[in-house]
Amino acid sequence: MKVRVLNMTKNELKIEIEGEGHTFCNVIQKALIKDKRVEIAGYDIPHPLTSSPLIYIRTKGQSKPTKVLDDATKAVHKDSKTFRAAFSKALKEWNKKRQS
Amino acid sequence: MKIQILEKNDISMRLLIEGTNAPLMNTLRRIILSEVPTMAVDDVVILENSSALQDEFLAHRIGLVPLKTDLDTYNLPENCECKSEFGCNLCRVSLVLDVEAEDHTIVVRSSDFKSENPTVIPVSNEISLVKLAPEQKIRLEAYARLGKGKDHARWQSVSMCTYKYKPIISVNTELCNSCGECVEACSRNIITKTGKKIEIRNLENCTLCQDCVKACQETPKAVKSSWDETSFIFAIESTGALTSERILREALNILDGKLVEFLKQLPVKKT
Repeated sequence: MKVRVLNMTKNELKIEIEGEGHTFCNVIQKALIKDKRVEIAGYDIPHPLTSSPLIYIRTKGQSKPTKVLDDATKAVHKDSKTFRAAFSKALKEWNKKRQS
Repeated sequence: MKIQILEKNDISMRLLIEGTNAPLMNTLRRIILSEVPTMAVDDVVILENSSALQDEFLAHRIGLVPLKTDLDTYNLPENCECKSEFGCNLCRVSLVLDVEAEDHTIVVRSSDFKSENPTVIPVSNEISLVKLAPEQKIRLEAYARLGKGKDHARWQSVSMCTYKYKPIISVNTELCNSCGECVEACSRNIITKTGKKIEIRNLENCTLCQDCVKACQETPKAVKSSWDETSFIFAIESTGALTSERILREALNILDGKLVEFLKQLPVKKT
């Protein structure tokens, strides 16, 4: 993964992520549009054979787009941590049920 | 988020995941399909092949044999310290195949492979590779490496990985006249009739085909079929290379790795 900033203004950010695809961008974009500070967030894969998607964010008011993107990524990270914890718990319950 | 294991063994697993969202499920599914590394043969040195199959054909068949993978010991070739084209003991396993049909026709099977590492062996002994007529012979050395499903299907860790919304089927008892049309229509035997009562069981088998709703003669319909957009039934079916549990854990690790790397590279400080 290699992140390149293509355009950065007060309310806008456009980055290119080399070596990623729908797998990573979709989950980030969906987390971004949940955020109330975001006006537009989208991603585009300009060519299907090159894996360099672009992520575009425009925020409302004083919110910095980099901060918003940072928060969205952290939110996904938190989700994955909750998943991990829930899965471990489910496994324990399953093993207990198997033994009894 | 709440997870319940519906069924689980080494090969396959079905989970009921409540209180999550589709993008996360889809990301996990895509990572499992294309980024969880497994072992597969990607280089074959053929010393002798007098079988009916051409060398390329035979090599292709060998490549598609799933191998039991030891992820803790081996490195991906691009991450290995050796930086060698041929690989080292930490990123390559050699498997030797040396068979000769003496006076009967024989079938060469995956069990004929002699592996350098006894933990890296084909997942099944019964995979047939080629038939040899009397006096035909095969002698070859195959090199297995770790790889990812996005590079070639032989490195895919799963034969199936899907998710679907958790179905919700409800029967409105005031509208229902217990005609049993929906029971007939349901191909998954989810709707059953006991006495005059329509009951629903084994709901996780429902494919949301809507046949029960179409079959209902009442207006408005007494049967309602919908789904819960925050709950999913997630199914994994491994090729046998890794356990289903390990595959899910690896996928989570890969997702976390991506997120941490992305956070590190974000241009936060420049603003």
